[in-house]
Amino acid sequence: MGLSTKTGRCQALLGFDKIRVVPGTARRGIVIMMENAWLIPLFPLLSFLILLLFGKRLKEASAYVGILFTLASLVYSILVLFERFSEPTYGTNFEWLTIGDIHLTAGFEVNQLNALMLVIVSLVSFLVHTYSKGYMNGDERFPVFYAYLGLFTFAMLGLVISPNLLQTYIFWELVGVGSFLLIGFYFYKEEAKAAAKKAFIMTRIGDVGLFIGMILLFWQTKSFEYSEIFKAVDAGAVSGTMITLTAILIFIGAVGKSGQFPLHTWLPDAMEGPTPVSALIHAATMVAAGVYLVAALFPLFQASKTALLTIAVIGAFTAIFAASIGLVQTDIKRVLAYSTVSQLGYMMLALGSAGYVAGVFHLMTHAFFKALLFLAAGSVIHAVHTQNIEEMGGLWKKLKFTGPLFLIGTLSISGVPLFSGFFSKDEILAAAWEGGHPILFFLALIAAFMTAFYMFRLFFMVFTGKPRTEMKNVHESPANMTYPMMLLGVLAIVAGYVNTPWFGSFLGDWLVDGNPRLGHAHVEGPIWIMIAATVVSLLGIFMAYLMYYKRSLARNWLSGTGDTLHTILTNKYYVDEFYQLTVIAFTKGLSYFLRFIDVFLVEGLVKGVVGIVQGLGRTGSRMQSGQVQTYGAVAFIGLALLAVIYALTGGYLR
Amino acid sequence: MDIQTLQQFNWSAMTPEFIILGVAALLTLLDLFIPKHLDRRILGWIGIAAILGAIVSVLSLAGGQVTSILHDTFRLDSFAIAFKLLLLAGSGLVLFLAVSYEPKDGMEEYRGEFYYLFLTALLGAMVMTSSGDLITLFIGLELLSISSYILAGIRKYHVQSNESAMKYVINGSISSAITLFGMSYVYGLTGSTNLLEIAKGLLTVQDTQHSYLLGLAFLMIFVGLSFKLAAAPFHMWAPDVYQGAPTPVTAFLSVVSKIAGFVIVIRILLTVFGSAASVGHPNQPILLDMQDYIAFIAGVTMIIGNVVALRQSNIKRMFAYSSIAHAGYILVALTTLSSNMFYSIWFYLLAYLFMNLGAFAVIQVVTEKTGSARIADFAGLYKRSPVLAVIMGLLLVSLAGFPGTAGFIGKLNIFLGAFYGEPHYVLASIMIATTVVSYFYYFGVMTQMFFRPASDETGKFNIPFGIIVVLVIAVAGSVLFGILPNTAFDFMTNNLNNLADFFS
Repeated sequence: MGLSTKTGRCQALLGFDKIRVVPGTARRGIVIMMENAWLIPLFPLLSFLILLLFGKRLKEASAYVGILFTLASLVYSILVLFERFSEPTYGTNFEWLTIGDIHLTAGFEVNQLNALMLVIVSLVSFLVHTYSKGYMNGDERFPVFYAYLGLFTFAMLGLVISPNLLQTYIFWELVGVGSFLLIGFYFYKEEAKAAAKKAFIMTRIGDVGLFIGMILLFWQTKSFEYSEIFKAVDAGAVSGTMITLTAILIFIGAVGKSGQFPLHTWLPDAMEGPTPVSALIHAATMVAAGVYLVAALFPLFQASKTALLTIAVIGAFTAIFAASIGLVQTDIKRVLAYSTVSQLGYMMLALGSAGYVAGVFHLMTHAFFKALLFLAAGSVIHAVHTQNIEEMGGLWKKLKFTGPLFLIGTLSISGVPLFSGFFSKDEILAAAWEGGHPILFFLALIAAFMTAFYMFRLFFMVFTGKPRTEMKNVHESPANMTYPMMLLGVLAIVAGYVNTPWFGSFLGDWLVDGNPRLGHAHVEGPIWIMIAATVVSLLGIFMAYLMYYKRSLARNWLSGTGDTLHTILTNKYYVDEFYQLTVIAFTKGLSYFLRFIDVFLVEGLVKGVVGIVQGLGRTGSRMQSGQVQTYGAVAFIGLALLAVIYALTGGYLR
Repeated sequence: MDIQTLQQFNWSAMTPEFIILGVAALLTLLDLFIPKHLDRRILGWIGIAAILGAIVSVLSLAGGQVTSILHDTFRLDSFAIAFKLLLLAGSGLVLFLAVSYEPKDGMEEYRGEFYYLFLTALLGAMVMTSSGDLITLFIGLELLSISSYILAGIRKYHVQSNESAMKYVINGSISSAITLFGMSYVYGLTGSTNLLEIAKGLLTVQDTQHSYLLGLAFLMIFVGLSFKLAAAPFHMWAPDVYQGAPTPVTAFLSVVSKIAGFVIVIRILLTVFGSAASVGHPNQPILLDMQDYIAFIAGVTMIIGNVVALRQSNIKRMFAYSSIAHAGYILVALTTLSSNMFYSIWFYLLAYLFMNLGAFAVIQVVTEKTGSARIADFAGLYKRSPVLAVIMGLLLVSLAGFPGTAGFIGKLNIFLGAFYGEPHYVLASIMIATTVVSYFYYFGVMTQMFFRPASDETGKFNIPFGIIVVLVIAVAGSVLFGILPNTAFDFMTNNLNNLADFFS
């Protein structure tokens, strides 16, 4: 990373307070790329508009339009990122709306977090665009799909360069619309339609919190600007309770978007969308938006201990909760969906434990390995035309590229040493420990064990053993599907090395550079944490190996070999039985219990609210009898009621 | 009053009213004298020209001093100009709808009346905006109401239309009676019908009994006028009347009539009750004392409108409830009495005018084609006419208050106001929650249009010129004011002097 000492010093001098660099005023260096960073979201928008207008005529060539424009975004984002390494934060604003003495601005900003997010989002989006060319091949609404992808990418990129909360909110909503369209892409399937609606409504519930928090914060600080808000918070212009209240309200928005408990139920259902969409929405973009929002407003959250603790608790609980549900899922995409929820919980835990770097770092590595896993899962589904892992098996030999790539993703998410997920997960565990949350730390550790277990359960069931059903025409996916996976496979391995305890924490140093509010670049945890993390992940893998790999082998061996082996194997089997009876039974029970909570409590609550609303609607429409006397009577009764209340409270009788 | 006094008045302040009045009279005569077989549509175009003329003359009056003529019964202030523009723009678009209106059972015999009754109703609304006196206010109100009653029932051989007119008359009379009763209290306490004199007189109310009576008067006037807003508890007529009335009339009732309702509510409540001292709090105007009641009505209106709309299967009834809900949102702005209240209400009505009239234009085209007004008739609209479907989608998104549209900015203004000064948490929460509810029914229509297969009838739509004009203006307005909301605000501050002259 090209960080010279000189520019490093420059950055150290520049806090958040100085980011109001207006074009034309003196500034350090030439920031031609960052100055025009607003172009980045416009490329996908252009792609969307072109495909909307000419999609029908372009047919399958629509893919090239989408791919080219997102490639442009990607290249530009990379250039901006590299420029940001050597230059200070760049931001610009103009007045957008004036109401009385209220001035609202719009603009864009390139700080470290934004620059990093731009690259992640545009990279994953570009790869998904490329991949979809193969995956969606033959779909009659092919151009529409690419148009939606463009809209979604535009919204997400717009979200990450917004310099103020209002603009963030606008793009945040647009992301919601984009995801609604994409999840419901197969609208002729009832489930897909229901899932799209659910995703939309559930995230909206969170958005209500965000919106109220945002407006409250506005009246407290007189600004939507991030920098102004932080300044006001620093100066003590906002009372402690108000900070906590607004921070938690804003966090509710993030809970909805990032599928945290209890607003997570839309996320697994959203798997009804096409698989590339799952990769886009559930790896790098929409669900990451919640984590991004918390990270972007981190100084606000940090000002309130209660808010941070709330985030940490919700995060840790979500992590273990979703991981345990993942243990018993049999749909390949649903397993990945629950793992996403769980990993997002990790990121929230990190942020809540004041581990800003750890959270953002995991956001990055997760984007790569989860996108890889989803795309590889898509490739599997593409090959066998089912999502049920009970019906798969023995695909390793048939899918020469997908198999090893899936393995890389699995190793990475399981936190096996030397893979990217290992470093970021270690960072999070260290942050949780050092942040003074030993209980949450252990929850996260157990969740890490579960993650390794169910991910390898998935891997073994899909790729090893014998096919459990007859599968014909199993073939590897075309090149435009495997190449994006390979690139992600490389990133899933190496992305972790930008921030390691052994080779230096480049990413961390850079992220918090010039901004002491964001905390330390690297949290130095005790060495045993790393060992413990390694042990639990290997233990999880080993158990999955015993249960889902070894057992299937055993059946073959039993038929032909001698007593010694037989005994050993029986003993192995005892081990399995032992696990089955104790640990696994317990976790399974827990898993079903939590799933129960999920179905009856959370969804029940939602259903209850819906029921009340519908009941009110029924009553209201029943009162609408068509009798004009009723209407007059209602008006009179209304007036009488108001008059009585007035008499009792405000006037004569008081 | 001799001719000289009459000549002294600055009659030019009434130019827009005179234009509308003159053309309405002209149309009546033309309708009488031109041969029966000639198409009456030409009258509609003359009406549109008149409205354009009136808009120009209102614009030319903008930015001047407050003019008060006829013993302060007619006043031309920035408030009047701002809202007159809305009324005229709304009526103009409604007339465009009307010239394109072709119901299946035909209405050739009475098409002429259709146009000039729109103009007289508009005249009534315009008089309301400029009234400085309870009597002129009431006359404007009745002129608007009586014209609307006839308009609602103009399809003489259509049972629903007749029923709709009947219900409208009965409910309207009840509301007028309640309003008048309330006004009589105010007159009784001050001995004047002039709004500013009343305000002056009430400044010095000492007797708490008087304050109490004033509170009652407030409630009666507000409840009575809530009829025009289609707000609770006087909302129940709306769905039945909207459903039965011809589509352009429904559009008129839901937009122009509602704007007029807000005009009169603001005029009376702010001038009369904005200054009157209240019981127990000598320094606090009675309006602040009654804030909770407005808030209550706003909340109930939002809940009823949005929740009951969920259960509708008729698109016009659904829009009736949606219009009730929108009245509730605007009442939130009125409740908060924040510094940007005028602007919030004006902007919201402007946005509402565009999105609602545009939606009614689409509804008119679709219902004429299918002959019924079920929401299910919108199924597969995207396949049958992608342009109409996309436009309707945009307008629905704006009605739902989605970012990037005028509807969002309107809601944002109101919401910002709700937290201005003393925050109204409950009201704001109700507003947000009911907005979320509203997504269900707006998106229900969207689902029909985009995700449902079309019924067997897949004929093309031919969109008349008038509808095209409305749709273009509606979409342009909804998007422009969503992306560049400052254009409206700048216009308001530059030309209308920020409505500071309301009380002078």
